[in-house]
Amino acid sequence: MELPDPVRQRLGNFSRSVFSDSNRTGPEYTEGPDDEMVSSLALQMSLYFNTYFFPLWWVSSVMMLHIKYPILPDYYKFIVVTIIILVTLIEVIRLYLGYMGNLQEKVPELAGFWLLSLLLQLPLILFLLFNEGLKSLPMEKAIHIIFTLFLTFQVVAAFLALKRMVNQLATRFHLQDFDRLSANRGDARRMRSCIEEI
Amino acid sequence: MGRVSGLVPSRFLTLLAHLVIVITLFWSRDSNIQACLPLTFTPEEYEKQDVQLVAALSVTLGLFAVELAGFFSGVSMFNSTQSLIWCAQAIGAHCSASVALSFFIFERWECTTYWYIFVFCSALPAVTEMALFVTVFGLKKKPL
Repeated sequence: MELPDPVRQRLGNFSRSVFSDSNRTGPEYTEGPDDEMVSSLALQMSLYFNTYFFPLWWVSSVMMLHIKYPILPDYYKFIVVTIIILVTLIEVIRLYLGYMGNLQEKVPELAGFWLLSLLLQLPLILFLLFNEGLKSLPMEKAIHIIFTLFLTFQVVAAFLALKRMVNQLATRFHLQDFDRLSANRGDARRMRSCIEEI
Repeated sequence: MGRVSGLVPSRFLTLLAHLVIVITLFWSRDSNIQACLPLTFTPEEYEKQDVQLVAALSVTLGLFAVELAGFFSGVSMFNSTQSLIWCAQAIGAHCSASVALSFFIFERWECTTYWYIFVFCSALPAVTEMALFVTVFGLKKKPL
């Protein structure tokens, strides 16, 4: 199952503008051969453990909500239920995109994962953690803190992995140019030798 | 390796459960402190017991940091059947700690009981983790 094409294109353009070292003419350090792996081990480990942590987070959140539901004001009831549903849906998509993007070194998926983590999950979880009127219980504070730590680590690790991936793609693209040039030069030399013969 | 694939998530989950309860205890230690004071107590006595319990919890968090460092860096993971003993004792220790601490909170045990739980279920895995660190990095031996 892949991202739809227009979404992939937009995410690809976004990645190229944000993550590539466009103020340099050459790569920053002599990079290895361009078939070097750029999947990030730290990111993969944190995704793996996040997948196991998420059911624990969900069960604890729902139980704590069940306990404090009678004493929450009406508007907060609606808000907390909506947030938990949203976080669940986004988390499933986010983890899937993270796995796809990191293991298969696909830049649009990983960029989607990065954006979802930074712009959607982090604010929602920080809201659940720090809002005073939500009457958060100690256990909720504990699991939200751990979730926030996971998200922060993933945002940083995904940023570094994306930078490396985009720069490797750019290097590969430039090297492709050289291959094409040398192929053309080979044709031109052949044409010149034919003309000289004539 | 087939057996290892079930061990890593279970070790992580028990570690996490223990960690969650310890962090929860930071905010809900009030009833436990009142359980180990006489019926009428002064604020100074409360402060004294409070400081002791907070110190115990903080030391537990420090030992958690050591154990998490060992877990995520992988020193205690890649080896033979004898590593199952290390893993099993870690899993057992954290599992029993989670259960014991849940009782600690619900049944409002007195705060001095925490030290017993601490010795068997936090200090022991941390010590074995540090021993593994020393074995791998200090003596340059493959662990077991």
